[in-house]
Amino acid sequence: MDLSAYFPGFLPELVMVVGACAVLLLGAPARAAVPGDMSKQAPGIVAIIVTFTALIISLWLGHPASETACPPGLMASDLLYYVRIGGLGIGVILLFANLHLPVANERAEFFSMILFSLTGLLITAAANDLLVLFFAIELVSVPTYILVALTREDKRASEASVKYFFLGAMAAAIMVYGFSFLYGALGGTTTIAGADSMTSAAASTNTNTALIVAGLLLSFAGVFFKLAAVPFHSYVADVYEGASSTISGLLGFLPKFAGLVAAVKLLSIFAWDVPPQVLWVLWIVAAVTMTVGNTIALLQRNVKRILAYSSVAHSGYMMIGLIVGPSLLAGAGPMRDGVSAMLFYMVLYGAMNLGAFAVLGTLAKSGESVEDIADIEGLNQRHPGLALAMALCVFSLMGFPPTAGLLGKVYIFSSAFSVGADHPFGGPLVVLAVIGVINSAIGAAYYLRIVAACYNRESRTETQVVGGPALRLAVVVCSGLMLLLFISRDAKSAAATVVTKQVVTKNLARASVTPQVAERDSATP
Amino acid sequence: MDFVSNWILTAIIFMPVLGAVYVWFGSGNRLPQIRSAAMIGSMLTLLLVVWAASLHSQGQGQTVDGYGLYHSSNWMADGDSRIDVNYTVGIDGVSKWLLVLTAFLSPLAIWASFSSITNRAKEYYCLLLLLESGMLGVFCALDLLLFYVFFEFTLIPLFFLIGTWGGQERARAATKFFLFTVAGSVLTFAGVLYLAYHQFQYGGSGVFSLNIPTLVHHGQSGLIPAGVQWWIFLGLVAGFAVKVPLFPVHTWLPLAHTEAPTAGSVLLAGVLLKLGTYGFVRLALPILPAGAEAFAHFMSVMAIAGIIYGALAAWAQEDVKKLVAYSSVSHMGFCVLGMFSLKMAGVTGSVMYMLNHGLSTAALFLVVGMIYERYHTRDMNKLGGLARQMPVMAIFLIIFTLSSIGLPGLNGFIGEMLVLIGTASSGETHDGLIAGPLGMAYAVPAATGIVLGAIYMLWMCRRVLFGPVNEPPGTPDTSAGLPPDLNGREIGILAPIAVLCLVIGVWPKPMIESMQPAIEEHILASRVVDGDMDVAQKDADAVEQETGIAFMISKDADSKPIDFDHAGESKEVIEESGVRNGS
Repeated sequence: MDLSAYFPGFLPELVMVVGACAVLLLGAPARAAVPGDMSKQAPGIVAIIVTFTALIISLWLGHPASETACPPGLMASDLLYYVRIGGLGIGVILLFANLHLPVANERAEFFSMILFSLTGLLITAAANDLLVLFFAIELVSVPTYILVALTREDKRASEASVKYFFLGAMAAAIMVYGFSFLYGALGGTTTIAGADSMTSAAASTNTNTALIVAGLLLSFAGVFFKLAAVPFHSYVADVYEGASSTISGLLGFLPKFAGLVAAVKLLSIFAWDVPPQVLWVLWIVAAVTMTVGNTIALLQRNVKRILAYSSVAHSGYMMIGLIVGPSLLAGAGPMRDGVSAMLFYMVLYGAMNLGAFAVLGTLAKSGESVEDIADIEGLNQRHPGLALAMALCVFSLMGFPPTAGLLGKVYIFSSAFSVGADHPFGGPLVVLAVIGVINSAIGAAYYLRIVAACYNRESRTETQVVGGPALRLAVVVCSGLMLLLFISRDAKSAAATVVTKQVVTKNLARASVTPQVAERDSATP
Repeated sequence: MDFVSNWILTAIIFMPVLGAVYVWFGSGNRLPQIRSAAMIGSMLTLLLVVWAASLHSQGQGQTVDGYGLYHSSNWMADGDSRIDVNYTVGIDGVSKWLLVLTAFLSPLAIWASFSSITNRAKEYYCLLLLLESGMLGVFCALDLLLFYVFFEFTLIPLFFLIGTWGGQERARAATKFFLFTVAGSVLTFAGVLYLAYHQFQYGGSGVFSLNIPTLVHHGQSGLIPAGVQWWIFLGLVAGFAVKVPLFPVHTWLPLAHTEAPTAGSVLLAGVLLKLGTYGFVRLALPILPAGAEAFAHFMSVMAIAGIIYGALAAWAQEDVKKLVAYSSVSHMGFCVLGMFSLKMAGVTGSVMYMLNHGLSTAALFLVVGMIYERYHTRDMNKLGGLARQMPVMAIFLIIFTLSSIGLPGLNGFIGEMLVLIGTASSGETHDGLIAGPLGMAYAVPAATGIVLGAIYMLWMCRRVLFGPVNEPPGTPDTSAGLPPDLNGREIGILAPIAVLCLVIGVWPKPMIESMQPAIEEHILASRVVDGDMDVAQKDADAVEQETGIAFMISKDADSKPIDFDHAGESKEVIEESGVRNGS
């Protein structure tokens, strides 16, 4: 079959790959020639154009039609569409936020790494084969190791990069080991959707249960590392602190998003009808992740470390949606569909987290980056606009009106309750949701310290605004989104329609409707 | 007119926001312009609220499920008609008066800040207006998510108001206030979502709804099993009890009140505490009747503990502002006690108490603020004999003190009496309502709170106003342009409240009459036996026959033509007297 037949359906991914290579090539002449201003700016601008083009193409393509020609190992689904819009949309903001980085020579490499990482995210969503899934996740991760090192000429950045790389490599190894178990459990196939043999029937046979549990848990270990979920969270603070602020914003988005998408893929193999041990492990990890992340964040004084541990906690919230799973009701909406709620929250989190980090990135204290909470005291008096942006993003992280963060929390927790008491895992999920809301109260304590520092304290340190207009634009967009998504019906409905298009139906449609899903369905009037 | 009555509540909610935007962008940097812009914004809101109240009493606009001026537009569109989470507003006889209270107190709070706030005034007035907006929103909201949004939003401006313009310990006070309230309200949040799920799953409508009338219908249909009701009730109560504040979770309140700037204390005591009690009457009681009944004893014991503890703690204070703050703990206990009698008289009294406490405590905080601006201390050991220095202030302080301790003829009395009547007669079935959970055993200890209240309030008056003159050296401080006694602006702030205290005290009938149908329909509907309810009168009647309290009521009846003084007469007589009064 002619390869070009596959092009139309996967044009955005194609644009991204070609663009990433092109940006990488831009670096060669720039190094040879005397680095002029134009050649310095070119890689970043080209990267933005590429990503924006891919975004426009994705919008123009719309939801993939069911007859889209897919090459082996890839699959066009509504999930892919959502990841394209969400990932590339936030990706453009990310590029704007990082346009002033790095100061060193490796600008072309830097931006092409971001593009590769974004490409990896898209392919994760398109993967229909465990091997492709593994490669895609590595494509997301490997560039991030490099990005951490490239952003700052600082020992801490190199240290963070090495730590991140070694732990990441180990997690990847565990994950691929898990995939090998799944290969066995599924009867010698690695296809995610479409193999009729690997429906819930596979889960129910005794011989395979142990294999499935082992395979899923090992695979999830890799996912947990990407999510920074406990017990694989220990790298977060050092890495986020070591990287420059705006790259920390990226680290809170790309690997996490890829991890969640991979988790959706893994569970959709079994249409969420996995052995209860797996759900319980996910439950425990979610509960512990929220609690540990929030508790450690309470003890920090460094704003980047606070945000890093809060990122751990947010992974916990999102895992609630993962455990809830999709609702098979037509148009259930994120209020009742855990996966939709989780994916909505993920993109939202990407924006609010990036916004908070971008505000930090905008500030400098005599050439040094601003990190300690004392440095942002009285920010409101020096830079009212930045303080307002910070407040909006932080209130959104807190889940407070009038910001979109509240809606994210509404969706996640409401979907957890909607599983229903009749469902065997309904009761534990209600408990988990209650743990979640209590955790968001704990979270409020340290977020409030950031806001209080900005507004209620007297300014003590002199800070300068650095980073240029592109970074400030990113700050405005991120914080503006928080208000816009909350207030505007159209923006919300646009975001929600993407989600409600049943991101995983295509996977689930092939699997037979499992008893528990059917039960959930019939319990609904 | 339809257009007006459709949108007037929305206009009310967002008018202060507009005012804040104008203060921020349109009023330049000169203090007088900022002040007058803020003042105009809140006065316009008050005008709109008065207009809305009159439209509502004329029955204008759309009425849905007994909520007037109803308006709903799609807010959470997600391409699915089976999700009913909307921007829905509407008012009934209960929320109308709270709306009026909010809109009435806000301009006064702004006016009171004219002399004390000079630092970062622009932000200050913006935040006050945003706070007003949030409070108005809570009372208008008929969608549970919208309610929660406004309920939580009020924390943000108040956090900044306390944290930036507060006293010495402002940072601690602001944080403690915020975290206590958030810790409670996240559980409310969980309860709300579970409630919505339950309605969706078992309500038979097939619509995932956060619409308050829908949820009330669901709750009263008896479809929520008692065990589930208890859990949801506990969730809702967690948030509301902190806000009220109920006894063991009240500790944020004295600190926050004492450290807040005067306007912050006024709105905090005057309106924000009522968000908690309003949550009880609007949500917890009607939606979870079994839960409310099951926990009524517990809640009442906590309320009584708060009444007595708050009173004793107030008695022990040396700081006048702290004394008033603790008196709020005590008074809000009455409010909660009254509503858990689950009787017409008790709930009416509770709502009346919200309004009256809003007026008298707000006024007391205003007076204390005015003293503080002159003497820079609130310590009663350092103040004394001020009646000689500030005679006008003394008059106002005495009026508000008497109103606060519930002197017949002033507003505080009405609520207090109705609460006690409702509590005492709660166990009886005589008024068309099934028997409530409380009884005399609850009314008697609560009544000691009244005695204690009189003691500490009058004690405070004596120490501050009378005796030998005692002023800290160098005071009164007139450097800011304030005369030794109150100036025209300050009298202008206090006089309207004093007038209202008197008017409500003498003639509460229109208020009670307009709120009782709403209470019957929206709060106590599940407890009506035969649909034939005649309000407080029969409750009062029963108590009269059994207790000595009758003496006080009839004495009251002799002196003034108030409504429930017809206690003991039959329903016909009351209707006649209504006609008589009307003609």
